[in-house]
Amino acid sequence: MTVGVVANPASGRDIRRLVAQASVFPTAEKANMVQRLLTAFASVGVTRALLSTDLGGISAAVLRALRGRRPGRDGGWPDVVFCDDDAITGTARDTTNAVRRMVADGARLIVCLGGDGTARVAAAACGDVPLLALSTGTNNAFPRMREATVAGLAGGLVATGAVAAETGTRRATVLHAGVADRGETALVDVCASRSRHIGSRALWHPETITELFCTFAEPDGIGLSSVAGQLCPSPRDEPEGVALTLAPPEHARWVVHAPIAPGLVVPVGVDAWRPLPVGEPVEIGLRGGVIAVDGERELELTGTETATVRLCAEGPRCVDVSAVLAEASANGLLRTENQVAQRKERQR
Amino acid sequence: MTDTLSTAVSHELDGNALLDAYRTMRTIRAFEERLHDEFATGEIPGFVHLYAGEEASATGVCLHLDDRDAIASTHRGHGHCIAKGVDVKAMMAEIYGRRTGSCHGKGGSMHIADLSKGMLGANGIVGGGPPLICGTALAAKQKGTGGVGVAFFGDGASNQGTTLEAMNLASVWQLPAIFVAENNGYAEATSSTWSVAADNIADRAAGFGMPGVIVDGFDFFAVHEAAAEAIQRAREGGGPTLIEVKFTRYFGHFEGDQQTYRAGEVAYARENLDCLKRFRARVTETGQVEAARLDAVDAQVADLIDAAVEEAKAAPKPTAADLETDVYIEY
Ligand SMILES: Cc1ncc(C[n+]2csc(CCOP(=O)(O)OP(=O)(O)O)c2C)c(N)n1
Ligand SMILES: [Mg+2]
Repeated sequence: MTVGVVANPASGRDIRRLVAQASVFPTAEKANMVQRLLTAFASVGVTRALLSTDLGGISAAVLRALRGRRPGRDGGWPDVVFCDDDAITGTARDTTNAVRRMVADGARLIVCLGGDGTARVAAAACGDVPLLALSTGTNNAFPRMREATVAGLAGGLVATGAVAAETGTRRATVLHAGVADRGETALVDVCASRSRHIGSRALWHPETITELFCTFAEPDGIGLSSVAGQLCPSPRDEPEGVALTLAPPEHARWVVHAPIAPGLVVPVGVDAWRPLPVGEPVEIGLRGGVIAVDGERELELTGTETATVRLCAEGPRCVDVSAVLAEASANGLLRTENQVAQRKERQR
Repeated sequence: MTDTLSTAVSHELDGNALLDAYRTMRTIRAFEERLHDEFATGEIPGFVHLYAGEEASATGVCLHLDDRDAIASTHRGHGHCIAKGVDVKAMMAEIYGRRTGSCHGKGGSMHIADLSKGMLGANGIVGGGPPLICGTALAAKQKGTGGVGVAFFGDGASNQGTTLEAMNLASVWQLPAIFVAENNGYAEATSSTWSVAADNIADRAAGFGMPGVIVDGFDFFAVHEAAAEAIQRAREGGGPTLIEVKFTRYFGHFEGDQQTYRAGEVAYARENLDCLKRFRARVTETGQVEAARLDAVDAQVADLIDAAVEEAKAAPKPTAADLETDVYIEY
């Protein structure tokens, strides 16, 4: 029984540490999370774990830990196999390659460690295999901040089939953004910005944004979707999304004070919003500028191209950690009864 | 509703500024490629380390600087000099060891300096630059000029005690200092993935209580944007920043390096990542600059480099009588 874990060495290093107080997630901690996952996997019967490799030091640290394990004293781990068949490019392609290899090698669960950007890339590559996205990045509207041990138990229970996928996973919706022959898929939001270049990728000038589309919007969210979360929330587990037209705060109908990045609460002007039904293609009015997905500028537009956005219900199947562990509790999956002790108690 | 790009981001550049940025990057590239050819003839004395491939870093950072600001450079310093406004012909003459050079022909490639331009010098000492800019940054802070100090240094230099001490001091004193770690993957033949313990140089910033970010060093706009934020923060009293720019150098460590330690990556970078190619594609796509204007810059730069080499070769060498000039200073 095989699972895959992909950890992005580059997550949590972008300019938001300079323009906001976004956290720094050290390489050593990412490696620790992988080890906590391995411990959790073993305890619920996962026998084989495929791990991504990188030049950022994560896989090297896990390998060192693996070699230093003391038989009999350290708990068991699944058999660890490092996916090192593809040359490392230092780009998002490394995540794509690793996830594809893991799926082809029979992984029944893909865990990804990173921010929204990493989850987006992993989701695009994992097909129908359940995805567990853990936060080690910046905005993290999609991946959850979860203790890796607990998340690993839940992921493992889904992977082994101890908790059925229908109970333990939720199908996410995604937004497809496309222009000419280029396309990107967002898990949380797509926006059009007047900023002309991809530049340092992150987007922290909301006054440049003209339109915003969200797959879901939670009142306690972070990132651009928090704008909608405080104005027109849209639950994660309903397929419908929301579309907003932004405007300069001076002239806008509403001004939302939104946490668009850690350490950055700014006024964002909104002129209009409406529910965004699944399947409806929306043309973006902006000419030139860029399209950002999940808070990162990804597609540069020429002055003549029209980008389109469409909400799609066929996103990744995501592990719902709380639901899985509630099911485990209800069915006693993580406990046993000790008959002898019970008999003694009764005799006394 | 069709929206146009009427309001751009505050530090985005207009057409003329973009052309200036392109001219600087093209000048550095042409300067280095020409030196690569000329060095092979044996006419240039001493060591030469070329900056080709790394142009977006010096250019993206120095475009934000003015007369109040100083930079410290490295042994790979030609790009920093050009971007900070040092005269290209005087640089070429210096590299040829001529009296008309920036340092009267007595410094060579690794010691080009021009204090009148705030260029504190190329530096043969790996890790020699960061402490210097703590000095200029302290002076700027004390005098209240709003000036900043910028240290460019390599991945190898990032492991030097001097660099780490300078970052500590800059943070303790909240100096208007910017540390630009130019991670080109190697220190001589040693891979940075082997030699840099934290793997990302930027991660070390957290240990000094300053922000640390990584940017794509092949992308002028990425460097320019990150530098804008860091320099503005420093000018306004926000303290130091570490920016790690990642890229590949196009030539060997020094001219003559056989480069047996790497393969393939340079051809890939030149083809797919090159800062000049990407810049040209982007600004013409958006209609901000016409291709013909960029072509004109290419031609002007080629003429400038031709003239610089010709004049340098024709210029006189220092004589024995020059031995004691520029050695002592009277106060
Ligand atoms: C203090 C000191 N130690 C060693 C050297 C020899 N040396 C010259 S360049 C260099 C490598 C520097 O690597 P890096 O800082 O990454 O800069 P790059 O050459 O890659 O631009 C070394 C070790 C030196 N010049 N000074
Ligand atoms: Mg180097």
